[in-house]
Amino acid sequence: MRARILYVVLAVCLLVGLVGCGGKKSTAPACRPNCTYKDMVVGFLQTGSEGGWRAANSASFRETAEQLGITLKFYDSQNDLARQVAGFHQFIQDPEVNVIILAALETTGWEEVLKEAQEAGKIVVLEDRRIDAPPELYATYIGSDFAEEGRKAADEMCRLLEGSEKKNVWELVGNVGSSAAKDRGQGFRERMGQCGIQITKSQTGNWSITEGKQVTEAWLKETTDVQGIFAQNDEMGLGAIEALKEAGLKPGVDVKIVSVDATAGAFKAMLAGELNVTVECNPLLAPQVYEAALKALNGEQLPKWVPSQEGVFRADMPNLKEIAESRKY
Amino acid sequence: MSVSKSSLILRRVTESRLFFPFVALALILLFDLVTVPGFFRIYTREGNLYGNLIDILRNGSTVSLLAIGMTLVIATRGVDLSVGAVMAIAASVAALLMNPYVLAKELPPHIMKFMTDPHFTYQPLWVVILVTLIVAAICGLWNGILVAYGKIQPMIATLILMIAGRGIAQLITNGVRIQIFYEPYAFIGQGWIVLPFSLYLVAIVFAVAWLLTRRTAIGMFIESVGTNSRSSFYSGIDEKKIKLLAYTFCGLCAGIAGLVESANIKTSDAFNMGQTKELDAILAVVIGGTLMSGGRFSLLASIVGAWVIQAITTSMYAIGVPAFALQAIKGVVVILVILLYSEQVRNLVQRLTVQKGA
Repeated sequence: MRARILYVVLAVCLLVGLVGCGGKKSTAPACRPNCTYKDMVVGFLQTGSEGGWRAANSASFRETAEQLGITLKFYDSQNDLARQVAGFHQFIQDPEVNVIILAALETTGWEEVLKEAQEAGKIVVLEDRRIDAPPELYATYIGSDFAEEGRKAADEMCRLLEGSEKKNVWELVGNVGSSAAKDRGQGFRERMGQCGIQITKSQTGNWSITEGKQVTEAWLKETTDVQGIFAQNDEMGLGAIEALKEAGLKPGVDVKIVSVDATAGAFKAMLAGELNVTVECNPLLAPQVYEAALKALNGEQLPKWVPSQEGVFRADMPNLKEIAESRKY
Repeated sequence: MSVSKSSLILRRVTESRLFFPFVALALILLFDLVTVPGFFRIYTREGNLYGNLIDILRNGSTVSLLAIGMTLVIATRGVDLSVGAVMAIAASVAALLMNPYVLAKELPPHIMKFMTDPHFTYQPLWVVILVTLIVAAICGLWNGILVAYGKIQPMIATLILMIAGRGIAQLITNGVRIQIFYEPYAFIGQGWIVLPFSLYLVAIVFAVAWLLTRRTAIGMFIESVGTNSRSSFYSGIDEKKIKLLAYTFCGLCAGIAGLVESANIKTSDAFNMGQTKELDAILAVVIGGTLMSGGRFSLLASIVGAWVIQAITTSMYAIGVPAFALQAIKGVVVILVILLYSEQVRNLVQRLTVQKGA
């Protein structure tokens, strides 16, 4: 009997929908369904600083908020999970904040705070980093499709090695275990078979120039039978370029190089003809994230994952120079 | 008679501080000889030497430089955790001096053109190097003041700069990674005069440190401060000044290492530059047989220690250890190397040499 009552109560709650249940305060924002960017007060939990990509990511959120008239409360978690969770609580309790954007430091353990946020009527949008949580607890996730980046890189490598008799490719892997490294490697492997590419060597370069260079150096001592290098980020690609030059090979000509990220360094290398292709991993996610947040604020249902818009840049593009100059990171 | 003489030499060799680091290095290279065909091949290109062995020496030069300074600090019963961060600061300062324009938002086109010119630098090379080294020495001096005059425990005192230093480096470059195009500067890390240029730098720094510690009384003072600071105080040694000197020199070495590393990769990578290098440097000193509790030290043994670490890394790459197993296997090899130093192994070696002599 008691269970029955409970079901009835639950059913009523579902009918009433997001308006709320029991004695809890209303969870729908006052402006719904005509909220505009001006009504949005965003609490943004950034991971902390780690390099060019992250800096561009933060700048994108600041600048776009200014342009759209969004009130942005920026919280730097300083790469500390405890700090990030504390910041999350702070935003939940902040009556002004109606949207929380999270670039999570960890993939697990978010259920409790996400439930609290939902009860307090805050819209949660995930940015860049995916988490393991029931999808009904957040509005949507907007971030890169790392596997797609790997697939694009493989397609580009196929194009570059067209007509080449041998297709031996070396792979410089990012931090072992990171989702970006795993998925980019997997995506590349899915497509490389189509044109007969073989990965003859694969090693981690830990996303860094120094290690990318050292690894390539060691391989070059053993053999120079290599037609392409797939670097999972631009930095390791730049390291490989330096190693190839020292070994007397012409990077970009003797050995084709494809990297991922499309940072300023990669564009300079492409303009110098030493890098062939860089696949974009876009940090300028703010416009997409804010748009999704606004839709969620107005009660719209969103797909749980919106891949960010990303392109491919090739060294032989005629307008490469203009693109390079217009880039923000 | 001749037998006992040769056994005496043998004993002197095995009891030397250099013996075990060299044995460790030899064992690793022996392993490569067996498993990696052509590992020892050295060839010349345009009169310069290339090969895996040269790579070990060259890529080990950064840690060698750090290890020289670290040896003196550890000998005073201290430790310097900030060397990696000081490397990042040095790289950032150097890059900014060569190319300050990158921080400007809008640039007139005639300056844009300069920025990728391999002959262009804002400040002349000697100013770049001098200012960078002064900044690095000040970082070391700061550590020294905290330890010697502030009486803060070395690990804590240098931890401050280890954490703050990387932030400072990023502030200097405004979070941007500055690419270096100036060729004469790149020569510091990439140049070759038969052997890699960075090796000559290691040799010079080693020579200076050796002369400083072994041709003057400073080396003895450092060892006495590390062994027993109280008794050295009563014998009139100014402990504070000795510590100040050791930390400042360590900062200077880190600055040179920063120059080499940034020239090698041709950018100031404030975030990644020198990450965890402080641990490699400490490990190199330990492999070199200097005790963490201070006292007697050997500079050359520390450099050999740095080569041991680099030999492990380069061997792993050459053998083709899968990426996910890299760290674990490195750890196992390091344990094996450290085990070589245990009392038991030492006694065994000693017994063997005595038996042979008898």
